[in-house]
Amino acid sequence: MLAINNYQSSILHDISLEIKGNTIILGSNGSGKSTLAKVMVGIIENEATTILGKKHHELSRIQKIETINYIPSKLEIFDEYMSVQEFLELSFIGISKIKVQELASLLGISTLLEHNCQTLSSGESQLLLMASCIAHNALITILDEPTSNLDQIKTKRVFDIVNSNEYLQHKIIITHDLNFAYKLGFDIVFIQSGKVVFQGSNEAFFCAKNMETFFGNSVKIVENFVVSNL
Amino acid sequence: MKKVIIYFLSLVMILIAPFIGDFVIDFSKINAMDSQDYMVFWDLRLPRVFLAFFCGAILSLSGLVFQTIFKNALITPYTLGVASGSTLFTALFIIFFPSYIYVFGGFLGAFLTIVLLFFISNRINQNSILVQTNSFLLVGIALSFFYSACLMLLFTVSNFEENYSIVRYTLGSLDIVGFDYVFPVGFASSVLLFMVYVYKKEITLMLTSNENAFLKGVEVKKVNFILLLVVSFCVGICISFTGPIGFIGLVVPHIIKIVYKQSAYKLFWPVFFFGGVFLVVCDFISRNLIQSSTLPIGVVTAFIGAPFFIYLIVRRSYK
Repeated sequence: MLAINNYQSSILHDISLEIKGNTIILGSNGSGKSTLAKVMVGIIENEATTILGKKHHELSRIQKIETINYIPSKLEIFDEYMSVQEFLELSFIGISKIKVQELASLLGISTLLEHNCQTLSSGESQLLLMASCIAHNALITILDEPTSNLDQIKTKRVFDIVNSNEYLQHKIIITHDLNFAYKLGFDIVFIQSGKVVFQGSNEAFFCAKNMETFFGNSVKIVENFVVSNL
Repeated sequence: MKKVIIYFLSLVMILIAPFIGDFVIDFSKINAMDSQDYMVFWDLRLPRVFLAFFCGAILSLSGLVFQTIFKNALITPYTLGVASGSTLFTALFIIFFPSYIYVFGGFLGAFLTIVLLFFISNRINQNSILVQTNSFLLVGIALSFFYSACLMLLFTVSNFEENYSIVRYTLGSLDIVGFDYVFPVGFASSVLLFMVYVYKKEITLMLTSNENAFLKGVEVKKVNFILLLVVSFCVGICISFTGPIGFIGLVVPHIIKIVYKQSAYKLFWPVFFFGGVFLVVCDFISRNLIQSSTLPIGVVTAFIGAPFFIYLIVRRSYK
């Protein structure tokens, strides 16, 4: 579905990847996860990525937006007075069966529709970003740390959305939350200082030996949960 | 309702502006071809009001467009050195090619500056669709200083008469005779307004972030380039006729945003219209404040604009 063939930059080294379905990208802070996402989506121009067998510049404008979308970890809006409603309306790329109102109630942000995006809290803006990628509904959606600012209830809500196939087609999720990754059960790509050090299935990744190698003694698998060993 | 009243007052202002001034127009003689009243009204006052309106409109709307493209509330064609560029080239024309109309110099200066800025911006933002505004703004400021230094150099090599012409130009002026200058500026303003509406969808998406616009299929670099070109073209025409009139491009979009409390893509027309009205009012003040002579228009706009600018900065810091 999406492949990167030998991508090189000052941050990422010798990246070759093939992503066939739902995938989770793991890695420590500053390991190059977000950069990798930007390479995949073409915000950083490159020749290495192929989506459905085509390079970025070979895709037409419409094909591009229909096949791939990226949700940054922080909502960035320049205009002071753009409302949540307006932002959501801009997120649709064609006719969609889901409406703004439904989308807002799905994420629990219905009361915020009239608010200006710039006044939202970091958690609220993250939910708005989630709503916007459901509105866009590309073939592949890359979510950059979708739960980093959320409380437990909202993390669960986002988990349920990502876990079901109802709202998003194919997902590539960047996260720090090992338990979140573990419970989703998607394939894992693990990045360390700009290099891919693991690519494989969820079961293969979450074993005691790998936890020991990648996270030292800071992580433990306890009765089907991955927890921080504090 | 409030808006209707404001629009009505503005229209009244535009309508009465040409009738009031140092020379009192006798209404009965306004259509008598050989009277002085006819000449003052049709050849001096009316074109002046039109020129003021179109220039104000262009400068305001271009301020809004620049702020959107560069994602910075403080950027206008002026803060990026376009005005100093046009001043420098006008000065060059005044000194070295006095036989040419120096309108051409002003246009050339503005245009070259924007092209230069665009290429520098492209170099800064290589391989990325993201615009690094800060470095861009700094380049613009550096350029302004460079131009000013060149201008100082020119002052030392030119004679007294040339010096006076240059200083007079830098203050900005709407003194024109007849409609010859009004048409190109009017044309430029309609081109600008038209293009902004043609690219409304793209501009709206760019108001979120360039990344988001890119992901929604906007060719950010291409749209940026087209808008920059159109804006510089229009501002170039405007500045070359009137000289640099500062602060409008900065002040008007901000006032309109604060008053309307709406996203900028809904404000193209209000910014355009009230920008025009603002300059008509400033010109009205400049003509009528002192009985014996006309205050340079740049003085009036800066007098109103500068304190407001400071107020904005203070207000931002409280947020």
